[in-house]
Amino acid sequence: MFTNEMVLLAHPTFGALAIMAAVWVFVETLNVGPSNISRLRTVCFLGAGLMWLTYVVGGYWYVTQYGVDKAIIKAGPWPFAHSFFMEMKEHVFLMLLLLATFMPIAASADLSKNLGARKLVLWVAAFVVLTGFALEGSGALISMGTKVGLMAKPV
Amino acid sequence: MTTSIKKQSEGLGGSISVGERVNSQVAGYGYSYAITSLLSALLVVLKESSAPVMDMMARLSGHHWVTHGILDIILFVAIGWLLSRSALASDASYGSVISAVIGSTVISGLIIAGFYAI
Repeated sequence: MFTNEMVLLAHPTFGALAIMAAVWVFVETLNVGPSNISRLRTVCFLGAGLMWLTYVVGGYWYVTQYGVDKAIIKAGPWPFAHSFFMEMKEHVFLMLLLLATFMPIAASADLSKNLGARKLVLWVAAFVVLTGFALEGSGALISMGTKVGLMAKPV
Repeated sequence: MTTSIKKQSEGLGGSISVGERVNSQVAGYGYSYAITSLLSALLVVLKESSAPVMDMMARLSGHHWVTHGILDIILFVAIGWLLSRSALASDASYGSVISAVIGSTVISGLIIAGFYAI
């Protein structure tokens, strides 16, 4: 039980850290030069790695544990927490995983001399941040859906 | 043979190339992301609308979402590997890759969110 709770907490934590890494990539790209290009590429790999951890940990929990929460949410007053937010989140996340994986590939170009390469990395990092925040918010709504479902149960 | 426009940039201490050709790996995997995202969004609509497709995906790995994720990853790597070696990637510009990434992210997101909202 303790392990499952830790897995559930680790999922949004890794996701938030991946978002922070993407913000870091965005800022490093705005100020890119010979002195920070190596750090920028390292943070790109860090962000992608954290997103993969988010995927593996969240995926494990979703496949093995979510069924109970799903039943509670669907029977409760917020069924949309599953029917819209969870369904949307689990599939948009697959796009986000690929986008985060593409981030270090995009940063392999010569960013300090190429404006187009910089714009590409800025767009990718920005979408990782925005999509990541949207999915973190969806996760919060799903948790709330379970909570209101449990509160609505007769004691 | 793309034209490379060189202009001096103040504050960056050197010349910047605008519209320079993308390295083929960046273009290949950028286009691959765009294609895979769209296909993934369409697969959402297909599997949710077709019980046989959903059942088949569930049987392949034990859960439809796991199969969906594995398919996406395989497609992203395979299409990226193929396109990186193609003329499409070697002739691409950064503008076209950026447009593909933005367009695919927005359209795929709208397809998925729109499908579950309706």
